[in-house]
Amino acid sequence: MHRLVEPGTLFMGLALLALAAIWLVTWNLAAREQSAADRRAAVLAADMAGTYEAQVVRALREIDTTLKLVRYSLDERPPQVVLDELSQQDMLPPALLFEVRLSDAEGNVIASTHGPSHTNDTTPVAGQEGLRVELHHQATSAQDSRLAFHRSLSENGQQAPGWVSVLVSAEYFVSGYEPDTLEKQGVLALAGEEGIFLVRRTGETVHTGEQIDYAHLLEGNSGLEQPARVSISEWDGVPRYLVARPLFEFPIAIVVGLSQNEQMAAAAELRHTYYWRAMLVSCVALAVLTLLGRLSWKLRRAQTKVLEERLDHARRAEYLAFHDNLTGLPNRAYFSRLLTKGMQHARRYDKPLTLLFLDLDRFKAINDSLGHDTGDELLREVSQRLGRAVRESDTVARLGGDEFVILLPEITEPNQINQVADKILASVSTPFTLVGQEFRITVSIGIARYPADGEDEQTLIKHADVAMYHAKEEGKNNAQYYSEQLKTDSLERLALESSLRKALERQELLLYYQSKLDMASGRVIGMEALLRWQHPELGPILPKQFIPLAEENGLIVPIGRWVIYTACRQNVAWQKAGFPALSMAVNLSARQFLDDGLLRDIKGALQASGMAPELLEVEITESMMMQDMPKAVRVLQELRGIGVRIAIDDFGTGYSSLSKLQAFPLDTIKIDGSFIHDLLDNAGDRSLTEAIIDLGKNLGLTVVAEGVESAAHVEYLRRHACDQIQGFYMHEPQPAEEAALSMKKWFGSESTS
Amino acid sequence: MPSRLTKIGCILLVGLASSLALADAVVVVSAQSPVSTLTRSELADIYLGRTNRFHGGQPAMPVDQRENSPAYVAFYRNYLGQTPAQIKMHWSRLIFTGRGQPPRSLADHQAMADFVAGQATAIGYLDDAYVDERLRVVAID
Repeated sequence: MHRLVEPGTLFMGLALLALAAIWLVTWNLAAREQSAADRRAAVLAADMAGTYEAQVVRALREIDTTLKLVRYSLDERPPQVVLDELSQQDMLPPALLFEVRLSDAEGNVIASTHGPSHTNDTTPVAGQEGLRVELHHQATSAQDSRLAFHRSLSENGQQAPGWVSVLVSAEYFVSGYEPDTLEKQGVLALAGEEGIFLVRRTGETVHTGEQIDYAHLLEGNSGLEQPARVSISEWDGVPRYLVARPLFEFPIAIVVGLSQNEQMAAAAELRHTYYWRAMLVSCVALAVLTLLGRLSWKLRRAQTKVLEERLDHARRAEYLAFHDNLTGLPNRAYFSRLLTKGMQHARRYDKPLTLLFLDLDRFKAINDSLGHDTGDELLREVSQRLGRAVRESDTVARLGGDEFVILLPEITEPNQINQVADKILASVSTPFTLVGQEFRITVSIGIARYPADGEDEQTLIKHADVAMYHAKEEGKNNAQYYSEQLKTDSLERLALESSLRKALERQELLLYYQSKLDMASGRVIGMEALLRWQHPELGPILPKQFIPLAEENGLIVPIGRWVIYTACRQNVAWQKAGFPALSMAVNLSARQFLDDGLLRDIKGALQASGMAPELLEVEITESMMMQDMPKAVRVLQELRGIGVRIAIDDFGTGYSSLSKLQAFPLDTIKIDGSFIHDLLDNAGDRSLTEAIIDLGKNLGLTVVAEGVESAAHVEYLRRHACDQIQGFYMHEPQPAEEAALSMKKWFGSESTS
Repeated sequence: MPSRLTKIGCILLVGLASSLALADAVVVVSAQSPVSTLTRSELADIYLGRTNRFHGGQPAMPVDQRENSPAYVAFYRNYLGQTPAQIKMHWSRLIFTGRGQPPRSLADHQAMADFVAGQATAIGYLDDAYVDERLRVVAID
């Protein structure tokens, strides 16, 4: 993303570079153009100076030649005649411009090509040799100012003293002013040694007689063929490429100047054009770069957006991955992380930590009866209640199903924990209204504390789970702390549960049989099949130890089926071995009793063994009957229908209304062994036993006493006309083989006879 | 009388007016010259030193009257549309730069007539009163 510079900076940099390049090139071009123009102008000025010099020199020579010619031509004739003749012969310069004069020593004009009109206006100084130049300045009109060139007639000593002169308009010497090259601000001039401009022309304007600093004018002037240099003309302040050069033969200097501004105008215009173009190109470049920058910015924004969307998506995915989508609570994976972090924190800062493991009671029943949608609704409601019941800093998570966990950082004081647990219990058990129906649900809570109950996450969670099971065992809707004892119990339980699953297939289960005696005859009239588990390592395990477990995990159904089949088969086997037909009692568990396959199993067992239904007696408990009375009545009637006898076991412990017994189709009542055990010491038990016996008699039922342990018990029961007895005093429960041996003893005479 | 006087006056006035205008400036060549017509620009070229031949190829030698004489002023004004000052400046430039010499200058009409009559290549201008059989008036378009 940031491998290169930011696009903004990049385009700004590019723009600056482009502008720098454009302007650098432009300045360079302009500077070159400028210097080329400068050089051209300097060379042009020098060239023009050369030409002008040549023209002036030629003009002066012509004049001087005329002066010498006139002087030479003078003879005895009058001077005017001589002049006229020379003029006639075309030997004098054109009269249009030039006047030739002769004057005497005093300066009086004695002859002229232009007639006598011109008065004496010159006073040549006597004794001067050579060509003299004089400006006849007319202040009123520069056009009328003339230059006079004089030579002394007496120079060679042959003539009378006097002067020959040529007069010409001063303008003549600047008539070569070319407006095409010199333009309006150029200059052509002749400067006299005495410090005046004999004539100076700029544009159409001609000046004569101006004072100038002759030495300064010629100062530092370039030689022949050298380009001119720029200087500011002192007379009009115009900067010019100026050449001022003294003539070799004459007391005069020529001055040629080109206006710098005018000469550079073309270059300046070109420069202006260049700048203008550069400006245009700059604008275009800026516009293009701005556009590119903008596009790039947009692109970048789009990329950022895509990236943000991806991030959002990733965040959402992460949220989903770490939260339960039903309740929005952290899920098992996330909770595992939170717990790890919490424990790391607790370890580092030596802080305590408490974990609550929650499992809803009877949730499965609600889910099954009201449907999954309602179950989900309930879970949502519960999760909200849990959230409200704890502090902000506490974490509530759903592990799945109806299991929740709550992490309480920095709390281990039991009273604090109890407060939280009570709040949770109260909060959850508040009635719900779902699908227009009000009902209650409770929760069982297991509590494990760090570091006492576990130093790593796995252990802590497991121990909280163990404590929760304990809470269930303690009657649900309560909270239990984990302890070492619970651990031992639960370990046994776990071992049992896993081995119980294999017990059937490994044929570790077996039936013991206990005899039942008829009180009147004292003979064995039936057997009760009792389930035993011969664990390969733990040895024999009592039913009360593993039946609840089998009830809980549903193994009771196949186990119960096995019991019925085995008992029936054994009964028939004994009959075939020649023993009398005995009744066979089989205990049904609560779950088995309500199982829809019960009738089918019993019928199957009777059919498979060929045992007479009247010999089979199923034993159920009071509580099993009361749990769902209508169903119980229906099942019992069906059993009755196929001829099976029905006994009510452990009677007296359920405190059920005796009158309700009438509603059930029963054959036998079995008095619980605990009453018989205390029969001789406890008057209450005695009267209860007597009442049960009376009730049975009245209802026409067979009354059986269980757990008979002594002769005194037998005597008491005989006195109160109990029908049948069962217990250690007569016979202990025995495996099938031993029972067969006992039966041989009991029925020996009959069977062999 | 008065009418006669008036007539004379009128004639005098007309004569004065015409002499002030261009009555006395006609362009002439020698009768021997083949030239009979010239355009204004040809005439100007010859008098301003731009050429020294007629359009037919014959050499041409222009001749002036004296500077600032009425004929001179009239000629340059009427045929070339130039003032004497402009003419002077023109020749000044040409002479100074060495590119030519101004026409020869003659004293008066008579001198002009005599000179042109004697030179087959000459061309001049004069008052038509001085035109005789030796001369031919050149028509200027």
